[in-house]
Amino acid sequence: MTREWWKHLVLILGALIVLAPFYMMVSYSFKSPGEIDRGEGGFFGRQEVMIDPRCVALRQPDRADIEAARSRFPGQDDAGVQAALLAETEAACSMRPVAFNYTKAFTEAPLMRYLLNGVIVTVSIFLIQIVVALPAAYALAKLKFWGREAVFGLVLFCLLIPVHAIALPLYILLAKLGLTNTYAALVVPWTISVFGIFLMRQFFMTVPDDLIDAARMDGMSEFAIVWRVMLPTAIPALLAFAIFSIVAHWNDYFWPRIVVTGNRDLFTPPLGLREFKGDGDGSFFGPMMATATVIVTPLIVAFLIAQRRFIEGITLSGMK
Amino acid sequence: MAVLDMGVAAHPKPNNHEARTAWGLAAPALALMFLILLVPVIVAGVLSFTNYSLGNSGFDWVGTQNYERLFTRSTYEKMFIATFTYVVTVVPISVGLGLGAALLVHSLGRIGDIYKTIYFLPVMATLLAMAIAWEFMLHPTIGMVNRTLAMACGSWFEVIPFFANGCNDGFPLWLGDRDYAIWVVCFIGVWQGFGFNMVLFLSGLTSVHRELYHAAEMDGARSGWDRFWLVTWPALGPTTVFVVTISCIRAFQVFDTIEAFWPQGGGPNKSAYVMMFAIFEKGVQQNLIGIGSAITVLFLIFVMFLTLIQRRLVERKVHYG
Repeated sequence: MTREWWKHLVLILGALIVLAPFYMMVSYSFKSPGEIDRGEGGFFGRQEVMIDPRCVALRQPDRADIEAARSRFPGQDDAGVQAALLAETEAACSMRPVAFNYTKAFTEAPLMRYLLNGVIVTVSIFLIQIVVALPAAYALAKLKFWGREAVFGLVLFCLLIPVHAIALPLYILLAKLGLTNTYAALVVPWTISVFGIFLMRQFFMTVPDDLIDAARMDGMSEFAIVWRVMLPTAIPALLAFAIFSIVAHWNDYFWPRIVVTGNRDLFTPPLGLREFKGDGDGSFFGPMMATATVIVTPLIVAFLIAQRRFIEGITLSGMK
Repeated sequence: MAVLDMGVAAHPKPNNHEARTAWGLAAPALALMFLILLVPVIVAGVLSFTNYSLGNSGFDWVGTQNYERLFTRSTYEKMFIATFTYVVTVVPISVGLGLGAALLVHSLGRIGDIYKTIYFLPVMATLLAMAIAWEFMLHPTIGMVNRTLAMACGSWFEVIPFFANGCNDGFPLWLGDRDYAIWVVCFIGVWQGFGFNMVLFLSGLTSVHRELYHAAEMDGARSGWDRFWLVTWPALGPTTVFVVTISCIRAFQVFDTIEAFWPQGGGPNKSAYVMMFAIFEKGVQQNLIGIGSAITVLFLIFVMFLTLIQRRLVERKVHYG
């Protein structure tokens, strides 16, 4: 240990820099605007009850409110009733900063909707990728047919094309089909994963032929073999691929930014956060960081629970 | 094409039924590969010679005018400078740090896993969200970075010119300063990517045989440094080639941070106007599809070229171990 102290020193220093923005993001999501401005309050902030100025401004009592409330405050003049009402409003609008930040995150923008969209898009992408890639991978790995080399060569060639790079022509094609601002636009370009085909083919090559022959003896069709014999053997590889795919598309910002314009109902989490930043007047740091925390947390938590699987999945492309 | 002969060695015996099933199984994938990957590449290639805009009924052929613009206008000069600055900075540093971290973590054994977990967090986190967090950190007045730097004021740190200037005239604006902007983006690129490289190197390191180290020691490689150059580095050859390639491709595609920091214009004085942002701004926002397609074509050429170099190197067997 004594000889290794310098390694720990270097690594801890690195860890501090790596963790700094996470620390700040979570910490700001707890603090009141004043604490953020002044840079006080440690990690959690003091959590003093604060009054939401916007909420108070929105519920400013007008003449009608004062008239209506007069009976509740007998013996008071107008100014007195108004002051009493104002005090009530302030009481209703006061809360702890952490509650303020997180309620604002979910109420200022339809964050639940964004999260749901994120789930819909990532899950559909993954399922379609599997439905398309698995049969092709099986054919390439286990069936003998004329043109197999050419097809596999095509797969290898397509591996060279990053989908983000051809975003512009894809966008034009989708616009021509009138598909921009639809779920389809968010999903379609990712339905074909050449990497998935390549990966599953490599995996299927290791599955013994006997298993397939036995299934054929039982009278299974090739189609059934793909789903009832090959799929179960491929679960570990599929799990890794699922992580790879889901992480990439949950975090993707570039493609949704291109095909979804303005229609909030289709926003994925990163787009929602971007929009939040766009309208913020700058004093909305707390709620914005709460939104960021909500978006980042699911994957981070999943990662911490199943680290080995995640690292395997994300670095899948390293196994080529 | 060199890649084509990576296929299967033995020629399969023709069998009509099996062939038909196989084509049937592969058909959806093939169709999508054509429609989603190949057709767009061709479309980009064709449109890069036109002045097409979405909404126009037709277009004119403009020859190589779009490409000429790319190589003559100062905006695009800035685009190439920003892109290459980013790639040339981020790739070596993130690969170097990834390797360094992997070696340290590996040598620590099980305790090292905690660092592995921490360094991998930025890879998992939504980059856009973290970019916004960084933006707050780098806020000129209330950001954590400048506050931390300001703590050094009044101490011996002021001997360093950077601190002396900062304490007197205020620390840099970072994202608002054209001398710093692109470097800040590079820093975030490294911050986000080196953990990924570290993990790839770690899996490379675990496959280095123990005996090789013993053999090297017998050959007189006494210091850890000697052993690294004699055994570890050559054994990591294929991993390194792969890590460098994938880092390059990822670096070329930088977009999220730039768009988050500067939704318009790509940084102060276009100092961070990278290619993906240019494609987005010209092609999608300004509907100048011809020029956007020309950038796309150049982009594809760069990326394909890099991957082909990598495949060549791997096929030539960089394996020494």
